[in-house]
Amino acid sequence: MTRSLVLPAGSGRFIAFLLLVVVVATAFTLAEPRFLSTQNISAVTRHMAANGLAALGLTLVVIVRKFDLSFAGTACFAAMTIGYLIALGQPLWISIPAGILVGAVIGAFNGVAISYFRLPDIVTTIATGSIAAGLAFVYSNGRTIFQNFMTSGILDLNDARVFGYSLSFVFLLGLYAVAWFFMHRTRYGASFYATGENPVAAYYSGVPIKHYTMLAFVACGMTSVFAVLLILAESGTADTNEGANLLMPAYAGVFLGTALLGRTSVLATLAGTFLITMLLDGFSLLGIPFYYSDGVVSAILLAGVVFFDARLRDLLGDIGTYLQPRSAKKETRA
Amino acid sequence: MAAPALRARAISKRFGPVNALSDVDFVLETGEVHALLGVNGAGKSTFIKILSGIYRKDEGVIEVGGEAIDCRDPKDAIRHGIATVQQHPELVADFSGYENIFLGREAMRPGLFSRIERGDLSKRAGALLKRFPVDIDLSKTIAEMSAVEREIVAILQALAGDHIRVLILDEPTSTLTEVEKTILFRLIDTLRQGGISVLYITHRLEEVMEIADRLSVFRGGRMVASMLVDEVRARNLSLAELMLGETLDHVFPPKAEPDAIGEEVLVVRDLTAGNSFANIGFALRRGEILGIFGLVGSGADEFAKALFGAIPVESGSIAIRGRPIAPRSPREALKEGIFLVPGDRRVEGLALTETSVFNITLANLKRASSAAGILKRTGNRRASTEFATRLALSPPNLSMPVSGFSGGNQQKIVVAKGLFAEADVYIFVEPTVGVDIGARAKLYGLMRELSRSAGVIVMSSDCDEVHGIADRTFALYKGRQISPPDGLQTRNRLLMAGIMGELSRD
Amino acid sequence: MTDVIAHRSVARLDAHRPKKGLVSRYWLLVTLVFMVAVFAFLRPQLVDSSNIATILRSSALTAIMILGLTWVIAAGKIDVSFMHVAALGNMTTAYLLAGGHGWLVAGLAGVSVGAIAGFFNGLFVAVMRIQPLIVTIATGGICASIAAALGKGTSIRIADPGPLGDLIFTNIGPVPVIAIAVAVLYAASWYAQEKLTFGHYIFATAQSEAAVDQAGVSVRNLLMVLFVFSGVMSALAGVLLAASLSSGQPMIGSSYFIDGLTAVLLGGMMVRIGKPNVLGTTTAILILAVLVSGSALLGWADYQRQIIKGILLLIGVAVAMRAVRTHHSQHPEA
Repeated sequence: MTRSLVLPAGSGRFIAFLLLVVVVATAFTLAEPRFLSTQNISAVTRHMAANGLAALGLTLVVIVRKFDLSFAGTACFAAMTIGYLIALGQPLWISIPAGILVGAVIGAFNGVAISYFRLPDIVTTIATGSIAAGLAFVYSNGRTIFQNFMTSGILDLNDARVFGYSLSFVFLLGLYAVAWFFMHRTRYGASFYATGENPVAAYYSGVPIKHYTMLAFVACGMTSVFAVLLILAESGTADTNEGANLLMPAYAGVFLGTALLGRTSVLATLAGTFLITMLLDGFSLLGIPFYYSDGVVSAILLAGVVFFDARLRDLLGDIGTYLQPRSAKKETRA
Repeated sequence: MAAPALRARAISKRFGPVNALSDVDFVLETGEVHALLGVNGAGKSTFIKILSGIYRKDEGVIEVGGEAIDCRDPKDAIRHGIATVQQHPELVADFSGYENIFLGREAMRPGLFSRIERGDLSKRAGALLKRFPVDIDLSKTIAEMSAVEREIVAILQALAGDHIRVLILDEPTSTLTEVEKTILFRLIDTLRQGGISVLYITHRLEEVMEIADRLSVFRGGRMVASMLVDEVRARNLSLAELMLGETLDHVFPPKAEPDAIGEEVLVVRDLTAGNSFANIGFALRRGEILGIFGLVGSGADEFAKALFGAIPVESGSIAIRGRPIAPRSPREALKEGIFLVPGDRRVEGLALTETSVFNITLANLKRASSAAGILKRTGNRRASTEFATRLALSPPNLSMPVSGFSGGNQQKIVVAKGLFAEADVYIFVEPTVGVDIGARAKLYGLMRELSRSAGVIVMSSDCDEVHGIADRTFALYKGRQISPPDGLQTRNRLLMAGIMGELSRD
Repeated sequence: MTDVIAHRSVARLDAHRPKKGLVSRYWLLVTLVFMVAVFAFLRPQLVDSSNIATILRSSALTAIMILGLTWVIAAGKIDVSFMHVAALGNMTTAYLLAGGHGWLVAGLAGVSVGAIAGFFNGLFVAVMRIQPLIVTIATGGICASIAAALGKGTSIRIADPGPLGDLIFTNIGPVPVIAIAVAVLYAASWYAQEKLTFGHYIFATAQSEAAVDQAGVSVRNLLMVLFVFSGVMSALAGVLLAASLSSGQPMIGSSYFIDGLTAVLLGGMMVRIGKPNVLGTTTAILILAVLVSGSALLGWADYQRQIIKGILLLIGVAVAMRAVRTHHSQHPEA
């Protein structure tokens, strides 16, 4: 109930967010009138799609109070897998699911290691991400793959339009809508939130918490593949580096959204991603060079977290030391 | 005549419009063990926090050894000779006992870059142990130590600054077994002989009679009684009544009438789980409340978890309404109709930032949603409202995060969770920890009402509670069941059974 | 009677406590020796004077970069900005050199930016108590951006490596001078870690910040010192890398990320199981350097090495978790 928009607390923050968007948009438009052109809005929505997709899976991981640093590497490996299959002449309906499967498998590995074997999440996902990034080189020894891309139809993903908006943006909104419904209107979403909020209480309520934690990682792996798919479609080639830049904006979107709207949720991530994409786009329109983009996103993330940090602190309070298993931490309490 | 170790005069403290403390006078003599009693919110923890420097008093005077002092922060308090040991002391798990005792005091000069002389540390620990002899191996790490050893380390750490005159112990026995308590009490005796005055905070009234010289009772922000323990014993006063300010007669609801007791709901036979408990058996009927008295270390906690599927069972049988079951997880136990109301509801029972509706429906998501998994929001809200009314949840705000409710009301929400899960058996573990004595009466009434349609088991380390609420009782001692053939026992017999492990002849 | 108890307890204090199994504490060292033996057997050039010098030289630079990181992680925090701070130090130095300044100014400036970055990390993590992963993701991104901006997106050539270049490339026999300097630095660090309250409080902080604070030691100050020190060291490594490569490379940090974390965490499996420490880091760095050299001699591709490193990290973490858990479960609460 607290997550629906009709509640005073929730809607207050949301209105504040909308005002922020208006202020930022106005500022940019004054500096550069092209900002509000249809062309630019179209570009913003298209850029938002890849970041937003990666951030969606990450949202689930953060909801169960974990971190995943592997999905960039997973995306690279999946991208090369898809590219390799396309180059071999395989149709899209085989190549793309194969890539998604890669994401799911790596996510499952993370999930099992972290949830069932209780390995620390940050370090484990750094390791698996690194392994996946290395595996990306296996197919072509690191060379860019581009054969058959033109004829495979993958570029259509980027070019297609639905009601004037790019297919990728519509897909993003659609997936987010489904995700929102899933998280806030079904028992599965309730189970995710319960697992994150109080795993012991959830366990005593019959929620299979290890299962759900694992599923969060699987989801994160899969959405990172959705994200890199859009990048593949836009570039027309498969690079070993394709997914490397997904990490920062995804985290920024999730945590900025949490800071702005008060709790981690699908909606919050969408809001955070939107704001970041808008800011990045505005800056690039103003002529700020590409290599500033990471810095800009980081600065915004930091500012958001610092100024709204009370909630974040509560949310993340127990993810302290991560080299030690949870049982060790409890030892110090008599 | 020497000045008392500590004297407080006319202490007052306000938090906004609330008078946490009003005009409190208090005397602590040298070498005295003084117990502080009072329900939550009565003011004793505020008083302690003022003494230990966490809060600043608004009015009044505090004197240590006759000298007036003003503590602005905890370091000030320590400097003036007042040391505090918290209920769950913070210790470094992988450091040894003596490393913990001298944490922050390793070298002559305090600072980040001072040399540590490990040999010197053990010498200093030796000196400390000469002053306060206690049998403990301080070279073990905290992780290797038992609960009482950790408490001892915390106490030694508090006393390591040589000039301490007053030691405040906050609920030191909450995690100790009976045997360990004896060890702790021996140390306290040693402290007393060494001239240290001890301020002892506890909820356990029997302990007060055992260890304290004097006690003081807080109620409503005031000190309402301060007397020698001998006097309390001589006049046969009821400490609980002093704390409540009213008689205890109507705290527990009347027991069940024999003809109100119905069919068997739960039958347990020879339940055994390794070292935790063995051969426990009983039959629970609808309409009666079964009470199990078990102290820390008796196996009660493990037994409750085993019934609920959270701990594996090696042998024995469980049957609900004649149907044998073997739950291997709480999920399965819930499906079979067993519901556990856990001991620490904040840690184990509730998702604190979520609403009541969320929490109430969590244990039976199947009922709360359609076949496809979509939550039936109106239906859930209606059911939750019904339970809230039935249980008199206050305030009846179902959209508020449950962290905003008082302890007693939070417990009601957990019970509502069981109601929504349509449980056949409710197992209450330590149900009134942190619940005001006033709210306890309502909770006991609720248990009685629940027992009319379901089986209710109440497990507690509070003998009075078990004896007061249950129709039939037995005790657990070191994993064994101690129960006489007829089931009903006097309160003292129950106490003996749980503490000594044997049935006494009255 | 009381005297007897006291004497007994005191006697136990002096009793010899057998050290936890020698094998479990030094297995990493054994692994290093084993690895050198195997690679040297397969490719004797490994132990050539010049190859050893190369191994020691690159190890020395990495060692400088992650000395501070070792302690930050040992204190229970994570820092994923260190490689970007190194890049920033690197580019700052190159930028100032290209602008006509001398090595003294450029080098000092490079190190100073590291101190500033470390200060901000400390400010957000230690003072404002914001989750270290988010903070360092953000500060890392900002540093990376500034580093790239200094070179306008590309690298900066350095005409003259100056005295630092001499320091790096001078050898005494097979041992580079820089390696000797680093060995001295690490020896001093080992002393601070083991014999001074400094290291003592670091390890205590990881387990219970509350206990340390209550004992009168300011955790906030300690963490601030650690973060500033780490920033300085990372930046110093970056400055030295500028001299070593005769250029400023904005992306120089990326390969050090996995290596750095792996070295610290793998090193934490040695000596003090589960706790990063100076000796362990040294050994792990050498292992990784030998791995790089040996595998290059064997003709392995970069990505194969990366996969191996990731697997090493994963195994190391799993082993450490088991060790920590067994240790704690052998001594359960009574």
